[in-house]
Amino acid sequence: MTVLAIEDLHVWFELPDGKELHAVQGIDLSLERGERLGLVGESGCGKTTAILAMMGLLPPTASAAGRILLDGEDILAGGDNTMRAHRWTDIAMVFQGAMNAFDPVKTIGSQIREPMQAAGLAKGKAARARTGELLELVGIAAERQDRYPHEFSGGMRQRAAIAMALACEPKVLLADEPTTALDVMVQAQILELLIRLTDELGLAMIMVTHDLPLVSQVCQRAAVMYAGRISEIGTTSELYHHPQHPYTRMLFRATPDLLAERDVISIPGSPPRLDQEIIGCPFRPRCDAAIDTCAIAYPPTRTAEPGHLSACFVEESA
Amino acid sequence: MSLIDAPMTPLNEVRKSPSRLRSLLSFLRKHPQAAIGFVILMFFVFVAIFGPYFAPYGEREQVGPIFGTPSSAHPLGLDDGGIDMLSLLIYGARVTLIVGFAGAVVAMVVGGAIGIISGYFGGKTDNALMRTTDYFLVLPDLVLMIVVASIWGRSLRNIIIIIGLIYWTFMARLIRSQVKVVRERAYVKRAQALGATHTRIIFKHVIPQIAPLLLAQTVLMVALAIFLETAISFLGLGDPSVTSWGKMIETAFSRSAISYGAWWAIAPPGIAVALVIMAFNMVGTAAEDSLNPRLKVSHLSRRHFRLRPLPDKEAPK
Amino acid sequence: MRAGWSYVGRRALFALITIFIAISLNFVLFRLAPGDRTSALRCQGCTQEFKQQLRADFGLDKSVPEQYVIYLNQTVRGDFGRSFVTEQPVISELWQPIKNTLPMILLGTIISIMLGITTGVIAAWRRNTLADKGTVWGGLLFYSLPTQWLALMLILYLAGPLNLPTSDIADPYLAYSNAGAWAEFVDRLKHMILPAATIGLVLFGEYTLIVRSSMLEALGEDYILTARAKGLSNWEIITQHALRNSMLPIVTLVFLSLGFIFGGTILIETVFNYPGIGLQIYESVGNRDYPVLQGAFLLLTVVIILMNFLADLLYFKLDPRVTE
Repeated sequence: MTVLAIEDLHVWFELPDGKELHAVQGIDLSLERGERLGLVGESGCGKTTAILAMMGLLPPTASAAGRILLDGEDILAGGDNTMRAHRWTDIAMVFQGAMNAFDPVKTIGSQIREPMQAAGLAKGKAARARTGELLELVGIAAERQDRYPHEFSGGMRQRAAIAMALACEPKVLLADEPTTALDVMVQAQILELLIRLTDELGLAMIMVTHDLPLVSQVCQRAAVMYAGRISEIGTTSELYHHPQHPYTRMLFRATPDLLAERDVISIPGSPPRLDQEIIGCPFRPRCDAAIDTCAIAYPPTRTAEPGHLSACFVEESA
Repeated sequence: MSLIDAPMTPLNEVRKSPSRLRSLLSFLRKHPQAAIGFVILMFFVFVAIFGPYFAPYGEREQVGPIFGTPSSAHPLGLDDGGIDMLSLLIYGARVTLIVGFAGAVVAMVVGGAIGIISGYFGGKTDNALMRTTDYFLVLPDLVLMIVVASIWGRSLRNIIIIIGLIYWTFMARLIRSQVKVVRERAYVKRAQALGATHTRIIFKHVIPQIAPLLLAQTVLMVALAIFLETAISFLGLGDPSVTSWGKMIETAFSRSAISYGAWWAIAPPGIAVALVIMAFNMVGTAAEDSLNPRLKVSHLSRRHFRLRPLPDKEAPK
Repeated sequence: MRAGWSYVGRRALFALITIFIAISLNFVLFRLAPGDRTSALRCQGCTQEFKQQLRADFGLDKSVPEQYVIYLNQTVRGDFGRSFVTEQPVISELWQPIKNTLPMILLGTIISIMLGITTGVIAAWRRNTLADKGTVWGGLLFYSLPTQWLALMLILYLAGPLNLPTSDIADPYLAYSNAGAWAEFVDRLKHMILPAATIGLVLFGEYTLIVRSSMLEALGEDYILTARAKGLSNWEIITQHALRNSMLPIVTLVFLSLGFIFGGTILIETVFNYPGIGLQIYESVGNRDYPVLQGAFLLLTVVIILMNFLADLLYFKLDPRVTE
């Protein structure tokens, strides 16, 4: 059953100099109940913008087009008005760097209770009890809800942020780089927690990260974004074993991986600026397999396997 | 009295600019607020320097009745001694600005030097200096000034020294925190490793980096100094031998300009003071902002993101 | 909570040391005065012999360290000497004025805090709108006005139309006419409004600018985005998170401006002839009444130090990170 479907989502930003930045250039995604999807790409590829759009948290300089279907209902249609009703109650988020996601002068517990009270789900004693349960669920003692963010370690703060995201029993969890700035051991614990919670609660999750191998460990499927579009999407094992797009292949090589014994090769160059129109494949200047056609038009979507799509002119040999 | 005490984040690194004049011009172009303030300041500086040559009447010349009303000959009327107000205002500019600049410069030199030493060397020196400034910060400035002025006597020089000696603390704290940042920079570390002397490092590397901030703070300090000059003069502790705007307000008050309904004897010097202080603040805060930009975008806004129709699918080529 | 108590202890110690330094500074400042307390005396009977006698009475013939110890001893007992003018003990000379001043500056400060927070919050929330620009320019303007001049302007242009008294603290006839407590209260309030409004407006300029900038700072923090994501209303986000965090710099500012408030009080009370501590200082400057001046300076400094200690305690309440 599809919980969340994104159809042809576009996001533009007005820049101070009057130009326009086309940050998300028409992406399609769908998410099943209990499914974990990775959204991968370098910084500036539009992945964070895409999930902020799903939360309806784009800044006023942004404009959006397309459809965001939650259980079949287009919640983007009414702009902020329709998005607001689903924020946190249906789609919740774990922010990047939980350090700053918490208000430093309020207790962790009160910040977890806020969305429950705002949504009218629980009040007073009931809200406190529920907060305790949520914290226990992520492995924090219930009594610690009266502590302040600075009294928590980085890993604990991230756990608390996950508990906060679960406060209103959402259907979809968006996690933006949930493990950056944490050390490796803690990282593994947080990922394990996310896997366990999504499995137990039947929660669908989109995890945004620049770390493709990490996505392979956590998610069943992954979408690779480049220059505001999805360059390749498929199951993580398909992407790992049979990458269709050169960018996917290079991304795997660019991240250190404990399992595969190979050298780390970073991708030369940097992603293109999105405040001007790009003709041809945006990855062409950095691609090691580019052909003449790549300079002419954006590559059409090709299906390698059912559910495994990529946008590249060059046939990758498996 | 502490707009200057606002929390600061470390400065952007200052790069050598091609020309000072050009960088001033580009700064003024980017900050219209500073440009307006700058024009006002230039006007008053001009008046302060050349005013006595074009002032219509003398500083002590009685030209009409006591509190004579404004007329075409005397657009701002006459004061309690029948002296032309416009002329007095022009003469007063010089003293007021001198006190402001000189007081600020004393504060800058004393505070800057202490801030640099404290921030650069750190350790015990730093600790002792910072504790001292802590104590100075809680002292009621004007009250202290009154005490000192009434003990030391009334003269322009004393007022300048007092202003400088009270405000060096603000300067020292700010400069210190910035020097601490600069001290950790790679080129300072490198110069130290290469065996450069402390004096050389301070003059070659540290001071050029903090100079813009020092300047911005001095500009803000001038406003403060002028503010205090008017206060001290108002309390009868100003230099009796010279005309300043602060003294004009005091004379108007003590000679009952209010009972005469002589608004022209009170309003103009106050407006002049307010204009100058405001102009200094406009330039100073803009300079501070440009050195220390707060680029954070507000996460909360009345407006929301907009919706727009889907772009046309580009025709397959 | 042990860390908390050690914080309170450290701040208390700091306050005590500061008070000691202020007391000592007071001694040094007046020792630096040209001549001594007696040379300022100008009266017919003040012959050399009389002055000599006075010097012995004041202990001025002893060595400086001895004098310092005597001075410390007297100060701790609350003995600041006697006024040169009224010959009354300084402490009783200061008591009534400070009682007159406190309600006035309290009223003024409350006006400015409320006005400053309201306009500052609105300006930050409606950034770059007309309301914001108006607040910034208005704040800058009031921040730049000389206090005494603003007071004079209020007398010239506001006192008449509003029918408010411009001098003294109470109508002297009211006391004879048995008008009742309510009428007396209203009369006192009327006398207080213009001085309080002056201090309120002057402070307002500074407060509104600081509130605005600290609100803008807070609104740019990530926890605001989190709060929005959690579905909180704008009102909740502003009051519960942004303003709550901005309270830290605002509290610091309000307490740091105490010295300025007392300075302003001198100017304002002089203009309004309001018999408070400020007017007392002004008059003792004119009369060269050094003991009163000395006592007033010390009193105000100690009040400020104690208020700053209070601010530290408030900070401790407001910011859970403060003990770190």
